Amino acid sequence: MDADCIVQMKGISKRFGAIQALRGVDLDLRRGEIMGIVGDNGAGKSTLMKILSGAYVADEGEIWLDGRRVHIRTPLDASQLGIAMIYQDLALFNNLDVANNIFVGRERTRGPFGLLLDKKSMYQRAEELIRDLRVDIKSPRLSVALMSGGQRQMVACARAMAFQCKILIMDEPTAALGVREASKLLSLIRNLRDMGLSILLITQRIPDVLTITDRIFVLKGGQRQGVLETRAVTLDDVVTMIVRGKDHSGDSPADLDYKSFG
Amino acid sequence: MSKVGLSRLRKYNIVLVLLALMGLFALTSPYFLTVRNLTNIIIQNTYFIIVAVGLSFVMIAGGIDLSVGYQMSLVGVVTAMLIVVYRVPVWLAVASGLLLGTLLGFMNGLLVTRIRVFPLIVTLATSIIFQGVSYLISQARTFRTYPPEFLILTKGKLLGVPLDAILALVIVILANFVYSETVFGLRLVALGGNEEAARLSGINTKGMKIAVYTLCGFLVAIGTMVMIAKADTMNASFGPGTEFIALTAAIVGGVSFTGGEGNIPALVAGVFILAVIGNGMQLAGWGTYAQYIVRGCILLGAVAFDEYQKNARRRSRGPGDSRQTDAAVSAAGVQQR
Repeated sequence: MDADCIVQMKGISKRFGAIQALRGVDLDLRRGEIMGIVGDNGAGKSTLMKILSGAYVADEGEIWLDGRRVHIRTPLDASQLGIAMIYQDLALFNNLDVANNIFVGRERTRGPFGLLLDKKSMYQRAEELIRDLRVDIKSPRLSVALMSGGQRQMVACARAMAFQCKILIMDEPTAALGVREASKLLSLIRNLRDMGLSILLITQRIPDVLTITDRIFVLKGGQRQGVLETRAVTLDDVVTMIVRGKDHSGDSPADLDYKSFG
Repeated sequence: MSKVGLSRLRKYNIVLVLLALMGLFALTSPYFLTVRNLTNIIIQNTYFIIVAVGLSFVMIAGGIDLSVGYQMSLVGVVTAMLIVVYRVPVWLAVASGLLLGTLLGFMNGLLVTRIRVFPLIVTLATSIIFQGVSYLISQARTFRTYPPEFLILTKGKLLGVPLDAILALVIVILANFVYSETVFGLRLVALGGNEEAARLSGINTKGMKIAVYTLCGFLVAIGTMVMIAKADTMNASFGPGTEFIALTAAIVGGVSFTGGEGNIPALVAGVFILAVIGNGMQLAGWGTYAQYIVRGCILLGAVAFDEYQKNARRRSRGPGDSRQTDAAVSAAGVQQR
């Protein structure tokens, strides 16, 4: 077993009604790496990551963190273990400003029983985070409702940083962004890795995966196809594995099964 | 930036709307702008304010409670019978009434979180249930003559101000504090803004919902005590209709019908806007029935305005987003390494 693994998911299975979304998936994430999670639509990428972030609970399988078995049943469990997920639909509050978006759910408090909001401390910390992440958001008092997709990603990243997360999961962070904004976000993701985070990056954009990740995890039909070292592969290798699976013949009976997942 | 302008208008200039209305009615009736009439308006509306504050908490969290009217009927009938029929000590009767109201709210909260249908329908159903229970218990009788210990709530004065007005003011100040300064208040707004995001942020969304309906039930019960003491009589038909006034006042006062926004002082202004319109129309000899029509129109107008504002916000994001994005990058993207 790799001692330098921060996360190990073992034999994860998840079923939604008649659909078997994941079957016995194993995943190892190394400390301080960026791992791309790729696969076709319906391959189970988001489901696997949502199990790690506590949004779903796996039917079967174990999660180990720093060599210790953990039980993640709610998003709060995950965030207390230092796991943060930035969702595709961003899960931001349009009716709140930047600082409140960063802290809501785990507010800084004062007063008896921590009932009162420590607004001063939250705005101060939000301002520091914006500065540390080198994000160009002018004030933590701005509402996120009118922000661009990129800025909203930054707010979501700042939220993850505020809770000192060790493992950051990002679900298609560049999907809704223009070319320039996407490349800025990728450099922010590298920044985060250099700050010591281990990052799982779900994406459909294979070129992004090749520029930024250390390793690539391929899913198909809810099953692990393999893990590629990014340095050693080409775009074609990755696409082939996504489309045809680990078995390059592509006509195995099991393959027919996958087609139902579209 | 028109959206910011509109929301300012709604949040802070609601008081100007109130003043403008008062000016209008002062012109139409010489009796309107008298100390006596204005005092009347205030003391007639203390319980509406208390109920509207309760309802606004539910609404800010993204819910709605149409049953507050019949909660008042049921809580009122039970409290009145305990005092008048069963001669229970006033403090015990009032405590029982408050407990009952809290339980009714708790029940609404449980149902709304268990049966995942629109709270509009759930509370409409409980409203009918409360109505039935209230009439069954009271047999549609009217309960009169309350002891002075009970009537002190509205007859008593502190420094010349009626106790129920002081009570309403204290509740408004406390509510405003909870809304703007506490963790609970922030989470309420978050829940109303985006329930799924609230859940993913680790907020106990079910617990919060049950809490706001329970809090609403408690405040409604307080409002009921004021209502009985003010009228010095109670009947199962007292209370219904309040939900409509509280709802309209809340929306006029900037509480969004779809949740996530609120402003307690503006809510109070909303109650007084309705009250002033009612009073002004009465003085102008329009009678009660015409007021119904006007109130309905006000609710429609307020909801339409709320929706218009939401759409304006959506338009400013939405389909044009990708075009906007690149322009926004130069203005406010990430700095390059």
